[in-house]
Amino acid sequence: MANQPLLELTGISRNYGAIQALKDANFEIGRGEIMGLVGENGAGKSTMVKIIGGFDTDFTGEYIFDGQARQFSSPAAAEHAGIAIAQQELSLIPTMSVAENIFLAGDGVPLIASKGFLARKAKPYLERVGLGHVNPMRTITRLSVGERHLIEVARLLAHDPQILILDEPTAALGETDSIRILDMVNMLKKQGKSVIYVSHRLDEIFKICDRVTVLRDGESQDPRTAAELDVNSLVELMLGFELGDMYPRRAPIQRTEPLVKVRGLWPDGILEPLSFDVYPGEILGLAGQLGSGTSEILGAMAGSTKSRGGALHYEGEEFLPRRPKEAIRRGIAHCSEDRKHDGLFLGRPIMENMSAAALEAISGFGLLNGAREKQSTAGNAMKFTIDPKRLPQEAGVLSGGNQQKVALGKWLSIAPRVILVNEPTRGVDVGARAEIYQILRDLADQGAAIVMASTDIQEITNLPDRIISFYRGVRIGEIPLEDMTSANILEQITDPFHEAGIAATENAS
Amino acid sequence: MTDAVTGPAGEPNLVQRIRRDYSPLVISMVGLFLIVFVSGAVYTDDFLTWFNVKTIIRDAALVGIMAIGLTFVTLSGNFFLLSMKEIAALCIIAFATCMGAEWNQWGTPDPDAGPAGAALMMTFLVAFVVSMVIAVVAGGIQGVLIGLGGNPIVVTLGAAGLFFGIGSWWSDNLVVSYRRPHGAEWLGTGSFIGDIPNITVAFILIAIVAELTLRYTTFGRQVYLVGANRAAGKATGHENFGMAIKCCIIASVCAAFVAVAFSGQVSSAHVNYFSSEFGSSGDMTIMVIAIVMVGGNSIMGGYGSTLRTSIGAIFISTVDNMMVLNGFNSGARVLAVGLMIVFSIIVFALVRRGSRAVE
Amino acid sequence: MERIKHWAVENHDLAFAILLAVCVYTFFALSEPLFFTHRTGFAIMERFAVLGLVGLALTLCIIAGEIDLSIGSNAALAAVITVRFTDAWGAVNALLLALAISTAIGAIQGYFIAYLRVRAIVLTVGTLMLLRGVALFVAEEKTVMLTDFRIPDFISLKLGYFSPASILVVAMFVLVGLFMTFTRYGREIYAIGGARKEALASGISLQRPMIIVFAISGFCAGLGGVIIGLRSGTAQALGLQYLLLAGTVAAFIGGVSILGGKGGVIGAAIGTLTVNFLNTGLVFNVTPAFMVQMYLGILLLIVIMFQTGSRIFDDMERRKQLLRDVDRRRSILADRIADFRRRRAGTA
Repeated sequence: MANQPLLELTGISRNYGAIQALKDANFEIGRGEIMGLVGENGAGKSTMVKIIGGFDTDFTGEYIFDGQARQFSSPAAAEHAGIAIAQQELSLIPTMSVAENIFLAGDGVPLIASKGFLARKAKPYLERVGLGHVNPMRTITRLSVGERHLIEVARLLAHDPQILILDEPTAALGETDSIRILDMVNMLKKQGKSVIYVSHRLDEIFKICDRVTVLRDGESQDPRTAAELDVNSLVELMLGFELGDMYPRRAPIQRTEPLVKVRGLWPDGILEPLSFDVYPGEILGLAGQLGSGTSEILGAMAGSTKSRGGALHYEGEEFLPRRPKEAIRRGIAHCSEDRKHDGLFLGRPIMENMSAAALEAISGFGLLNGAREKQSTAGNAMKFTIDPKRLPQEAGVLSGGNQQKVALGKWLSIAPRVILVNEPTRGVDVGARAEIYQILRDLADQGAAIVMASTDIQEITNLPDRIISFYRGVRIGEIPLEDMTSANILEQITDPFHEAGIAATENAS
Repeated sequence: MTDAVTGPAGEPNLVQRIRRDYSPLVISMVGLFLIVFVSGAVYTDDFLTWFNVKTIIRDAALVGIMAIGLTFVTLSGNFFLLSMKEIAALCIIAFATCMGAEWNQWGTPDPDAGPAGAALMMTFLVAFVVSMVIAVVAGGIQGVLIGLGGNPIVVTLGAAGLFFGIGSWWSDNLVVSYRRPHGAEWLGTGSFIGDIPNITVAFILIAIVAELTLRYTTFGRQVYLVGANRAAGKATGHENFGMAIKCCIIASVCAAFVAVAFSGQVSSAHVNYFSSEFGSSGDMTIMVIAIVMVGGNSIMGGYGSTLRTSIGAIFISTVDNMMVLNGFNSGARVLAVGLMIVFSIIVFALVRRGSRAVE
Repeated sequence: MERIKHWAVENHDLAFAILLAVCVYTFFALSEPLFFTHRTGFAIMERFAVLGLVGLALTLCIIAGEIDLSIGSNAALAAVITVRFTDAWGAVNALLLALAISTAIGAIQGYFIAYLRVRAIVLTVGTLMLLRGVALFVAEEKTVMLTDFRIPDFISLKLGYFSPASILVVAMFVLVGLFMTFTRYGREIYAIGGARKEALASGISLQRPMIIVFAISGFCAGLGGVIIGLRSGTAQALGLQYLLLAGTVAAFIGGVSILGGKGGVIGAAIGTLTVNFLNTGLVFNVTPAFMVQMYLGILLLIVIMFQTGSRIFDDMERRKQLLRDVDRRRSILADRIADFRRRRAGTA
C-alpha cells in the first residue's frame, strides 16, 4: 500500500483539433513527494496540469486518485477531492485583504464572519507557508509579488488538499522571493503534502524535487530520481533529438554596416542601459527566460514599453519611439508575444488584419483603395502560405498556426526593414512553425534586420545568427554562431552569476 | 480550433450554413419574431400602402439620423453616449435663439412681397453654424474625457446633466419660438422631390454617406479596427484617443442636425422636446440606443454598420406604425420596443457565445 | 488624534467624502440661517429616504463592476403598481406586490447578465425601456392617484428628524452594510467587481453575486418608488428618470471606483447626504430644478476627471516603484556582475 502512488494517470491523450497535445502519456506522484514536471514549451505540461486539476475533462486515459478511478467534472470537484492548483497567473483580488483572499471561495469558507475572525483563522495557514509575520488584514496590493504567490498557496492549504500543483510559481519572481517559494515547498513536504512542481528553472528542480517527469512533444518519459540526473542529462531528455531539419540553413553574413544601432536603451525592468547593433540580413536572437527582460527590450524599440532613455540610430535618424505609431512610420514592425491581446482583430476579416498597419499606403485622400488593398494583402498572404481566397473570412476562425501567420504577415504591409518578433511560434503546430522559420529567414535574406526574442530553447538555438543572452534584466553575453549550443545558452540564461547565493545572504541579514 | 471547410465542393447551402452557425434557440426565436411580424403586416389594413411606407420612413428619419451618429461611437468600442437628447436639447435652444435673435435678421421681410429668401436663408445658416459649433464642442469635451480613459457611460451621464442645465438656463426653461416664414421650413416640413419630405431625403443621404464612410474610407476602417481590439489597434498605430473624439463629434453633430430639423418643423424650441413630447416613448436617448442595438451592432464594438442601424430605425418605426394602425396605446408600443431591445440583446449574446464555443 | 490620522490615510476616499459633506453642509448652514433648523433636518432626511436607496443600489452595482441603468424605470413601475392597487387591495398588499416585482426583475436581470455574459449596461438599457412600457401599461398611460390620503400622512409622520420611511431606509442601510461586510456573499461581490478575471479563476461563480446585487438594486429601486408614490399620492410611468444621475453622483462621491471593488455602504450614505445638502441648499437659494441637475452633472464630471487622473497618477507611481526596485537590485548585484564579467573576459 505504501508503494502505491497517490495519483496515477496512465495512457493520457488529448487533441486540440489537429494538434496532439498529449500522446499516451503517464504521470504519477506518491504521498509526501515532490515531483518535478518539466518539458519544453508546447511539450504538454500545461495540458497535463489542466487534466490533473479538472480544468480539462475532454481526454482519454485512466485517472486514478487515492486508489480509485476518478473523473472530475470541474476544478471545484477536483479541489473537493483534494487536488489544488496554484496557477501561473495569480488569482488574488488585489483590493481585498490577505485573510479575505484566503477565505474567498470553495469549501470551508464561513458564511458570516468579521474581518478579525477571518484574520485569526488565516494566521495558521500563513505560518504554514512561512508568512507568519504578515498581517492578515493587509491588502494584497501592499505585498510583493513573491508574497502574493505564497498567499495563493496559503489559500489552497485552507482547503486541506493532498496534492498541490504549483505551475511555474517562480517565473515572475526575483531570487529572494524564489527562495521563499522553495523553502515553502520543502515545508509542505514535511507536512506530508504531495507537490507537483512545474518549472522551467532546472536549477530549482534539482534543489527540491524528489523525482522528475519529463514531457517531450506530448509523450512522457518514466519518472527519474532527481539525484540521478544533472542539468545536461535533463536537457537531453527534454530536447530529445534536435529537430534540425525544421530550421532553415544559415548562410554566412557579411556584417559591414549596421542597419540599426541601439545606443543606451534603458527599458523599464532592465538593470543597465543597453547598446547593440543589428545588421541587415541577420536574425539576432535575444535569449532569456520569462522575466529576463527580452520582451521589454523589443517593446522599447517599438515604442510600446516605456524606457528611461537611449535612442535608436536608424537611417540617419536618432530617435526613441514613444508610441507604436512612431516606430511603424519608420518601418519598424513589432509582433508581440500575445497575438490574441494585441496582435489580431479576431472579429474582422483576415484582409483587414493584413492591411491594418498600412492603411495610409493603401489609401489616397482618406479613401481606401480596394484594389490596391486586395493586391498587396494577397501578395503578403501568399508569402505566408495563406490561401488568398480566405482573406474575407474572419481571423477568429483560423487555427493557432494560421493566426500567428496573420499576426506576423500583417507587418509585411509596411515593408519593414526592421522586424521585432517576440515568441514567433507560441502555440503553433510543427508544420506552421517550420513555415514561419523559413519566412523569417527569407525576410532576413532579403535584407531585413530581425530581432527575435524567445524562451523556446530549441528555437533560439537553431534560428538566429547571433545571440545576446539575458538573465533577469542583466545582459550576460553575446554568443556567436559557432558557440550556439543549447547547453551553452542554458548555462547563460539560468542563474549565471549565482545570484541565489547573494539573495540568501541578503535574506539572512 | 479546426479551420472551416471552404472548398468549392464542400460549400454548404444557406440553410445548412444557418443550422451550422446558429443554435436552435436562436433560430426559433428569430423565426417566431418573423412570423409575428409578417402576420401583423398582412392583417393590418392600410399597412402596405405607399402613403404608409412614406410615413414609416419619415417617422424613422429623426431618430434614425441620431442613431447613425451614435453607431460610430458604438462601433469604435466606446459603448454609447447617454447624452444624445441633451446635446440635441442644447442645440435646439441655440438654434431657435439664433433664429429669433435681433442681430441675426438680414433685411426686413416685406409682408406683401413675401419672404426675402436670401435673408431668411442667411439667418438660417448663421443659426445652423452656431448650433453645429456647439455640438462639436460638446462632442469634443466628452470625446476627450472618454479618450483619456473615463468610462463613457458615467462621463456622458454627467455631461447630460450639464448640457441640459445649460440649455434650460439659456432658455429660462421656456419655449423659444420664432415666426414663420423662416429659413428652416424647407428642412422641417418642405419637400423638393415630389411629396417625399426633405427630412426623409436627408435621412437616406446621411445613411448612404455614413455607410460609404465606414466601408471605403481610412477613417471608417480605423473605427472598426479600434473597436474590434483596442490593444491591437494601438499596436498597429491607431489610437483610441483621437478616435473617441472624432466619433463623439460625429454623434453630436448628428444630434444637432436632428435638433435643427425638428425645430424647423415646429418653429420653436424647448429643452424638453426630446424628453417628453417627442415620439411615443418619452426618451429619445434610449430610443436611439434601442435602434443601434436592434439593428444588430455589437455593443462591444468592431462589428456592425450604419446600414444595420438604418434598417433598425425603419424596423422599429414599422412595428410602431403597425401597432398604431391597430389602435395600441403608447404603453404597449413602448413595451414592444423594450421587448425588441431585450430580445436582440439575448439573440446576439447567444450567437456570440455560439461562435466562441466553435473557437 | 494619531489614530484618526491613520484611519484617514487608510480610508482616504471615505475621509474625503466626509470632508466634502461637512464642507457643503457648513457652507449652506452659514449662508442660510434657516438651514440649521429642525424642519430642514427633517426635509433632508425625507430626501435621503429616496435618494439614499438609489445611491445604495448604484453603489452596490458599481462595487460589482456594473451599472444598473434601469433603476429609474424600476422605481417608477413600483410607484405605479403601489398607487394603482392601494385602493383595491390596501396599501400593504400593494406595497408588497410592488417590492416583490421589483426585486424579481432585479434578480432576473442579474441572472441574465451572468448567463449571457453581457455587460449590465447593455441589458439594463433594454430593461429601462421595457419596464417603462410595463409601467405605462399598468398605469394605462395616465397619472395614477391615491384616493385615501391617510397613507401619505402616515408615511411623512414626524418622529424627531425621522419619518417611518426614513427609518426604514436607515434600517436598510444597516442591513446591507452588515451583509456586505460580514458575509461571504458580500465579499464575493467585492471580489467580482475588483478583479473579475481573478475572482472567476479562484472559483467564484458569476451568477450568485450578480443575482444578489441586482436583486438588492431592484429592491432598493422598488422601495424608493413605493415611498415616492405613497408619499405624494400620485405616480407617473415616465417619471423618476432623474434618480439615475443623482444616485450615480451620490455613489461616486461616496468613494466607489468605476473599476469596481471599492466603496461601501457608509460611503453611499455620506455621498447621498452631500447630494442632499446640495439639493436642499440650492432649493433655499431658489435655484430652479434644472440648475440642480446641472450642478450634479458638473460634480459627476469632476469626480470622473479626478478618478481618471488618479489612475494615470497611479500608473506613474507604479512605474517609479518598478524603477526603484530595479535600481535596488542593481546596487546589490553590481559587484557580482562586474566580477562575473571580468571572469568571462578572462576566459575569452
